[in-house]
Amino acid sequence: MSVDMNSQASDSNEDDFGPNSEEEEDEGGEEDDQGDIADYYEGVATDVEQQGADAFDPEEYLFTCLSYRESQKVLTDEVNSVASALKVLPAVAKLILVHFHWQVSVILERYKSNSSQLLCEAQVQPSTCRSVPASPQSLQCGVCLQLVRKDALLSLPCQHSFCKSCWEQHCTVLVKDGVGVGISCMAQDCSLQMPEDFVLPLLPGEELKEKYRRYLFRDYVESHFQLQLCPGADCPIVIQVQEPRARRVQCSRCSEVFCFKCRQMYHAPTDCGTIRKWLTKCADDSETANYISAHTKDCPKCNICIEKNGGCNHMQCSKCKHDFCWMCLGDWKTHGSEYYECSRYKENPDIVNQSQQAQAREALKKYLFYFERWENHNKSLQLEAQTYQRIQEKIQERVMNNLGTWIDWQYMQNAAKLLAKCRYTLQYTYPYAYYMESGPRKKLFEYQQAQLEAEIENLSWKVERADSYERGVGEVELSANDRGDLENQMHIAEQRRRTLLKDFHDT
Amino acid sequence: MTDKQSHKRLRKELSELQTTPMKNFRHIIVDERNILSWQGLIVPDNAPYNKGAFRIEIVFPSEYPFKPPKIMFKTKIYHPNIDEKGQVCLPIISAENWKPATKTDQVIQALVTLVNDPEPDHPLRADLAEEYSKERSKFFRNAEEFTKRHSEQRPSDN
Repeated sequence: MSVDMNSQASDSNEDDFGPNSEEEEDEGGEEDDQGDIADYYEGVATDVEQQGADAFDPEEYLFTCLSYRESQKVLTDEVNSVASALKVLPAVAKLILVHFHWQVSVILERYKSNSSQLLCEAQVQPSTCRSVPASPQSLQCGVCLQLVRKDALLSLPCQHSFCKSCWEQHCTVLVKDGVGVGISCMAQDCSLQMPEDFVLPLLPGEELKEKYRRYLFRDYVESHFQLQLCPGADCPIVIQVQEPRARRVQCSRCSEVFCFKCRQMYHAPTDCGTIRKWLTKCADDSETANYISAHTKDCPKCNICIEKNGGCNHMQCSKCKHDFCWMCLGDWKTHGSEYYECSRYKENPDIVNQSQQAQAREALKKYLFYFERWENHNKSLQLEAQTYQRIQEKIQERVMNNLGTWIDWQYMQNAAKLLAKCRYTLQYTYPYAYYMESGPRKKLFEYQQAQLEAEIENLSWKVERADSYERGVGEVELSANDRGDLENQMHIAEQRRRTLLKDFHDT
Repeated sequence: MTDKQSHKRLRKELSELQTTPMKNFRHIIVDERNILSWQGLIVPDNAPYNKGAFRIEIVFPSEYPFKPPKIMFKTKIYHPNIDEKGQVCLPIISAENWKPATKTDQVIQALVTLVNDPEPDHPLRADLAEEYSKERSKFFRNAEEFTKRHSEQRPSDN
């Protein structure tokens, strides 16, 4: 049984979800400090209406997408400048740059204060100057243990000599295993690095040399503090920034969106370490959380089984028309107000005095609370992606039937896009809240999260209905009202999102 | 690298070990048909392992010495750094640290040092590491008992 979205007369509900709807205000409010927070945000609420707030985007981040050739040039320029300043070969300069994450100014400064210490630390120069032992021992290669002619021996500046054939095999084995930077001397307890121009002539065949060059490029980019390889499958694009931060970047070639710092899914407002911890926890506890994945729930009023077929969590039972929240099964009326509580986990204040079992139960309950909401928003995103598809098809259809031009309907597509953006951020507020310590800051966060969630559900409700209106010829003008309403809702939701990010992302 | 090269080096190492035997690694057995697999007895000096001997197997890869050998304990041992399956965590033969110039006697020397002096900070068996750190005398009693029950006899001569 699915919720019937079409027969819904939206106008009757519309007023309840307006930005200033406060009819239900006196229903909740059991917390004393609720008022203080509301005071704190009084200014923000009016900001939302001001155009000026649009100008500030807390996610703004300057980055450039470089092609393979362009990124090679960036690297080569830096290599040449360090090589000439330090009077070393470019291949050696590369090893030094990798060691110092390509922070050229740091290298130049360190070189000025103590050049040999810098070269030792980067493991391109031995720390103690050894003289070549002139004993007959030097004629035995320490790896194959065979006697070889002295002139067949090769060594790095550390003077550990081995025969050419052993060096060749050493390099071949490592490159075949995917090693680029990081091939070092073969002697026990010697970690002197092999520059690429020492390795390359030792590799048999052009194929292996090419592999080695690819691995080197990967390692150079990975070690560079301002560069990051696009994580998209087989994508050669390199993202370049001035200041490395946990910010949203998007590849211009394959459109992959990711966090510049950790190269994983973008995760604001949660930081890189926290999201990693959260995803590991979710993977570890997947069995426990599995029962949640059900797509059906019973209507809390008439108990009819309801399947969720849209992303919006504001549900209306198709049978008894009861409005409720999919997440907490509470009456939806309480969600539209200032006292939106569904997103907040209420911790037992007395838990420290309870038994270990009770504490374990409480810990699991807390985790499941956040996981359920995290997972639910993820599902909503997928369902709303389907809505987006439907909207596009509908627009196409209307334009084909001369019901307005594409431009007339584009706002619906924009609304669906913005909805996805907002819900994505909302999803990532849950791991953030899960790991937050209790206190006034968490209260503030949860307040903003609740505000954002309420507005997103309002937007989702409207987007789903915008898509399902059936109109006759000549009703394009009628839609002007809906359009204004939807655009207003978009604006409110996005402002809530920005406010939350401004206050909590990367502080 | 042809297999022949790994064999050449192993033969050389083996003959060196036979002309100058190690005090703590005895009764080396190598199947003539497969020089890539060695067995021998580790004979520790320190309590609680100095009442027994422990059989190990060393398996060399065909890329040896450019890839490290693997070591397995064939005799059960009560030790924080050696697990129930006989696996041992020895940094000198980990893929990241391996050096082709490292020879088997150096590897075994490192192993003997680890057996004699456990490293509870890098345990394979956390329970034993904790006992070793917190209840040393209990650990010694258990390990001694375990050695008596499971270990092989120590070579008596030379």
